[in-house]
Amino acid sequence: MGAPPTQAALRRLAVTRRIIYLLVAVAVAVPSFCDLGCEFKPSPWVEKIFKKVESLKPGSPILLSFDFDPAAMEELYPMGLALLRHCFQNDLHPILMTHWPGGVGISKQIIEKAAKERDKLPGRDYVFLAFKPGYSNLVLNMGESLQGAFSRDFYNQPTAGMPALEGVRSLKDISLVVGLAAGATTEMWIAYGRDRFGFDLGAGCTAVITPDLYPFLNSGQLIGVLGGLRGAADYEKLVKRADRATKGMQAQSLTHVLIILLILGANAHYLWRRTRPNEKG
Amino acid sequence: MWYKLTIPLVMCFAMGLVAFVHEFVPHPWAAAFREEMTTWFRIMGGFAMFIGLYALLHLHVTRIRRQQAGWAYSAFVFLGAVLTIGAGVFEEIRAAVRDVPEGAFSPFDWLYDYVQVPCQATIFSILAFFMASAAFRTFRARNVGAALLLVSAVVVMFGRVPISEEVGRMLGAWDTFPRAADWLMEYPNMAVKRAIFLGISLGAISQSLRVLFGIERSYLGGGS
Amino acid sequence: MAAPQETTSPTRRTAELVVLVVLFFAFLAASAAKGRPVGAPDDWWLARLGVVVAAGLTLIMYSFLYRDNPLFKIGENLFVGVALGYGVILTWRQSLRPEIIDPLFVDPPHIHAFWMELARRSAPIVLGILLLTRLSRRASWLSRYSYTIMVGWGAGLGIPVTIHTYVLQQLKPSLGLISKALGDTPAGQQADLWSAALPILGDVIILAGIVSVLFYFFFSVEHKGAGSFVSQLGIWFLMVAFGASFGNTVMGRVSLLIGRMRFLLHDWLGLGP
Repeated sequence: MGAPPTQAALRRLAVTRRIIYLLVAVAVAVPSFCDLGCEFKPSPWVEKIFKKVESLKPGSPILLSFDFDPAAMEELYPMGLALLRHCFQNDLHPILMTHWPGGVGISKQIIEKAAKERDKLPGRDYVFLAFKPGYSNLVLNMGESLQGAFSRDFYNQPTAGMPALEGVRSLKDISLVVGLAAGATTEMWIAYGRDRFGFDLGAGCTAVITPDLYPFLNSGQLIGVLGGLRGAADYEKLVKRADRATKGMQAQSLTHVLIILLILGANAHYLWRRTRPNEKG
Repeated sequence: MWYKLTIPLVMCFAMGLVAFVHEFVPHPWAAAFREEMTTWFRIMGGFAMFIGLYALLHLHVTRIRRQQAGWAYSAFVFLGAVLTIGAGVFEEIRAAVRDVPEGAFSPFDWLYDYVQVPCQATIFSILAFFMASAAFRTFRARNVGAALLLVSAVVVMFGRVPISEEVGRMLGAWDTFPRAADWLMEYPNMAVKRAIFLGISLGAISQSLRVLFGIERSYLGGGS
Repeated sequence: MAAPQETTSPTRRTAELVVLVVLFFAFLAASAAKGRPVGAPDDWWLARLGVVVAAGLTLIMYSFLYRDNPLFKIGENLFVGVALGYGVILTWRQSLRPEIIDPLFVDPPHIHAFWMELARRSAPIVLGILLLTRLSRRASWLSRYSYTIMVGWGAGLGIPVTIHTYVLQQLKPSLGLISKALGDTPAGQQADLWSAALPILGDVIILAGIVSVLFYFFFSVEHKGAGSFVSQLGIWFLMVAFGASFGNTVMGRVSLLIGRMRFLLHDWLGLGP
């Protein structure tokens, strides 16, 4: 082990670190005040989910599982809002639930905001089932009887006989489920839901776990994926309602370019030092 | 003793066997049995929450009692918990005593919206700064593998943002960089993830068999 | 051994304290600057107070970027407490009350219905209570009855589910190259060489990636000769995938920061469009 760093070296390290933090903060903040004007085209995987939702007839049920908590809300909140706006635009009956107890509050915010825009009422136009523990067992339960799994909705109204659940007795009566995930719930929905009860499954997820879902896209177990804030922005573009995800893309572009330049600059310096004749390997 | 170890292990095997076999039984009784069992686990799951609650409270009580380093901060854990549980209980009593009009102020929701959400979201957003700093300080193309990692990361980072399409337009093909990023995700990345899933799945199956046959017993907890 | 820390002199600490006091007053001034919105309801100040508290907590959390400090620790522990309380109330509202209390004591119209519901729920309620004995050193063996039922069910159910979803369904498309080589193409489709070659090249890459990565993780056989080349190929595939994961991770974390910045600039300070 080499000699411990001197205080001067530690101070230099701290200054470098803080300069980078400041650059990142500026890169994120600047686009709030000026428009970089970058256009983008939605990804084919996002279009697949959009087209599937478009194909549902008015009055059809669609199950949305918002399995995330405040740690992932900046990516998945705009995604969920865009999806619900699309559902209400097409007069579908969204059934909203979550497997994460910390996600109940956010899910409530999203659905009440989207419903208020179109004067939709709980029980009549949508159902907010909120949370129940059980995870995969809950999905199996819902596959046999939705009303058995959730006897009441979040507003304490009985689900039996609810107009928004007309014709829906279990997951077998739902043709499309979209799960927004910050963890492993997408895999759980595939294994215990889609492969068992035969509905189409779309996924939305944080950018961190997007690479893990590509095997399921390739095998057809997922019809499409909305990956991270970009996925949310793509969906906003498709529903023709630019909101926080679209605005966030400007800051995303600038920050990514900054980080790429930092990496390339550091590597250029590293390679230059390696090629100098007096530098050791 | 047989009732502390043998019976639980036999129950585990029997339960696993029933769960495995009933998957292949198309009779309605199998579906009814599954519905009953999943209802049981839903109810039991509600009780499990209190184990986590006790564990966390016990940790902080011990810290305060023994006056360990940073013990004073544990008081804020209790403050937050008491405020939130108190707000929740107040709302339950309020709803039981009288009709609460729609849109009435909810202190429970207020604490969630303005304390839990900003704290949790901010803690995770700090990672953006750390990633940028760590990438600058440590990400070096020291060998072929590291160079591949670097190139792949740069291609994906650039291809997934709109500015890459603007740059592509200037170069004559707007979708060059997004397509490169998509190709990386759909081919080499997908192959690796699939291989990892296959490996994990085979491991999970073997671990499940070990649990069912009583070879793996760590879930039983301490004692005999 | 702990990592060496940058030390601070008393002068620097005094300067930091002065800056903190100035920042505190600047925070109060900035919070007060945004007045009552036009047409706001009478209780608008509750939401505004919430935004100010949220902004304060956000900035306290970000103070960790400068250095770990008591304010950050207070905010962190307060959040843990609030999250804990939220989980307790939610478990009561969403699980225990609708599953146990309402069916037993609120909904049943007569005593016979109560006994019916109790009979149906007695086993899971007893098993749930037994779960809690895990906290007692002497009685924790009782919790094994509950755990073995849950673990056994999960393990038994997981085997066919894992084989179907993660093995068979994943192997099928991986072997697409073989089915194409055996002539499994749509009838009447005449593809030119280039448009036929690209998907096959993609399938070759996928198959090569899967085999080489699986081989790399197979440590029972020494990786020498041809095996060494396959293992090295696996490492290269892994590096490409890790790079893609890193790129996506950066994207995810930056998105979180963008959201918080939007909150501070727009919701708190009222700046920007």
